[in-house]
Amino acid sequence: MPVITYRQALNETLRQEMHRDPNVMLMGEEIGVFEGSYKVTAGLLQEFGAKRVLDTPIAEEGFVGMAAGAAMIGLRPVVEIMTINFSLLAIDQMVNHAAKIHYMFGGQAKVPMVLRTPGGGGVQLAATHSQNFEVWYAYVPGLKVVAPSTPHDARGLLRSAIRDDDPVVFLENLALYNTKGDVPDEADDGDYTIPIGKATIARAGSDLTLIAYSRMAVLAMDIARRLEAEEGLSIEVIDLRSLRPLDRPTIIESVKKTGRAVVIEEGWLTYGIGAEIAATIQEHAFDYLDAPVKRVAGVEVPLPYAKVLERAALPNDKHLIKAIREALYGTRS
Amino acid sequence: MSMQTDASLAPPPANDPALPRHRQLGLSDEQVLAALAGMQRVRNVDDRLWQLSRQGKAHFVITSAGHEAAQFGCAWAIRAGHDYSVPYYRDMALALALGQTSLDLLLHGMGKPTDPASGGRQMFGHFSSRALRIVSGSSSVGSHIVHAVGLALAFRITGEQDIAAITFFGEGATSEGAWHEGMTIAGVQQLPVVFVCENNGYAISVPAHREVPVRDVATKAAGYGMPGVIVDGTDIFAVYAAARTAMQRARSGEGPTLIECKLHRLRPHSNADDHSKYRPAAELTALAQHDPIDKLRDYAMQHGLLNVERWQAMQQQLKAEVDAATLAADQVPNPPLESLYDHLYGSAAEA
Ligand SMILES: Cc1ncc(C[n+]2csc(CCOP(=O)(O)OP(=O)(O)O)c2C)c(N)n1
Ligand SMILES: [Mg+2]
Repeated sequence: MPVITYRQALNETLRQEMHRDPNVMLMGEEIGVFEGSYKVTAGLLQEFGAKRVLDTPIAEEGFVGMAAGAAMIGLRPVVEIMTINFSLLAIDQMVNHAAKIHYMFGGQAKVPMVLRTPGGGGVQLAATHSQNFEVWYAYVPGLKVVAPSTPHDARGLLRSAIRDDDPVVFLENLALYNTKGDVPDEADDGDYTIPIGKATIARAGSDLTLIAYSRMAVLAMDIARRLEAEEGLSIEVIDLRSLRPLDRPTIIESVKKTGRAVVIEEGWLTYGIGAEIAATIQEHAFDYLDAPVKRVAGVEVPLPYAKVLERAALPNDKHLIKAIREALYGTRS
Repeated sequence: MSMQTDASLAPPPANDPALPRHRQLGLSDEQVLAALAGMQRVRNVDDRLWQLSRQGKAHFVITSAGHEAAQFGCAWAIRAGHDYSVPYYRDMALALALGQTSLDLLLHGMGKPTDPASGGRQMFGHFSSRALRIVSGSSSVGSHIVHAVGLALAFRITGEQDIAAITFFGEGATSEGAWHEGMTIAGVQQLPVVFVCENNGYAISVPAHREVPVRDVATKAAGYGMPGVIVDGTDIFAVYAAARTAMQRARSGEGPTLIECKLHRLRPHSNADDHSKYRPAAELTALAQHDPIDKLRDYAMQHGLLNVERWQAMQQQLKAEVDAATLAADQVPNPPLESLYDHLYGSAAEA
């Protein structure tokens, strides 16, 4: 199996989808000549030309709305926004337009667009460059939200997102672009897709269920491996991959098996993904729980610039291990 | 370092064409030399921040090199502590011209608790000072100009007299919705606000002709019912003349103005950028000809305000000053962890 980076997975998938379907086009700031702020669109302007790889002025609401417009007559625009923070300038187009057009006009027009954008912090760029707003999009019926953590899932989910007939928010992460992972050989399964709305059991286990997505899924896997090696713990890791639709059955089945659950997210605790998952577990697996569901999340402040403060505000391995111990042993940790 | 005094309070300009340009504008020799020293001072801080970033002591750096004359020229027309300034990340020289110190800027870049802009909370380039009436915005390009429009609207109710707001942005920002909305409301309401576009020809890597559909941003003003003025942004006197007129118009109730300063970004967009990847080599070589500090220094020498010895002495003193400021900033301890929640809410009873 070839090993590629997350960035390569995205880049190759965009290229393949553009070859496969002439209706796939790209728009965004500096995605053409400059090949993207994070080089995800490298080589694509050269290969497909300016008609299909459009460098836009700094006008997020404008080009996200344009994508919705173009999608209504059958194009499949894939829009890049430099970071999820700036997608807020275009959120009206996503929430009041893209998400609703099919429903509110009685199914007359589909909006098969994708909004790709990296979220998250940890590189000292302060609050207005480091936020996690995928939850806001995941709140909205009519949108789909995916957040892969590996090159394998990034490829399979980007294919699904582009081929999907509804608007999809595709969450990336600055810290993931250079991470590496296996993908199937083109010859074996060159065109695999990952269904939107399906979580994966990234690691099977029996003592506790650890639920995460995007960069936090990488952290969750690391900690699960470490605690197995050091303490013999058997932790099942669920990588959600999709936030809407949310794969409730996979979560519920796992918790019924392990009896304990910890959720970790980089965003804020209050009203976060952890809240939705904890509610899901108590609704459907309450009788199986041996301990309260634990949530690990970012400290509820705008992420500060100073390194010491930033580090203190982000969820890390120590927070996660503490929560796992509390879920396993109560407060005796 | 003393606060830059407002040159518009100086004696009325003598319109004698035989006089040197600064005298025609009512500027003293000392004011010109103070601006030259200030521009070199901020360039030294700029240099130092790039060095500190390589040492891992300042994480994010965004330059004002090449923009100094535009920012110092406007500062002459601003009464710091009276008029409100709403800058963007490119305006380090403006912050200094309005009264912030080298130490203030270094503390900001190094994320120290005594950073007067944000207490180490906001990334470098978000300048702020209640005393100097410098208002900080977010990082979303173009979104801050509406704050200047709001300030100008508020003067009607606060009753402050003879006052204006002035806001700064790049040419790339003039594509954003908030920019157009702010310009529209300022024009409809004829508010006391001045819009300054620092047109450096690039929005990160994208050349202006692919960002802005007209050659001159100033022509956009017509659509908002205000005059648009083009000036050479490397010529501090041209900028001052335009800014002074615009601020006086605003203060006396004649409405907003858009000023476009044409200038050059001498360095990469930020320390995360490498402009040799997208700017032609010949253009990069030619940048040296557009350095506003050289231009003002040459002017000062031509008119006998400065000689080589004095310039060298000035440079040495400024070098010592930035070294001392760096040392002082470096010695400040990092923010304490207990301060993480400070300032989250303004009300006494925090949630
Ligand atoms: C809403 C938003 N979109 C994108 C960005 C990323 N970004 C930061 S600076 C910049 C270029 C701005 O260019 P210009 O307005 O010409 O100012 P300059 O940096 O050249 O002074 C961009 C695209 C941002 N900060 N905010
Ligand atoms: Mg620019």
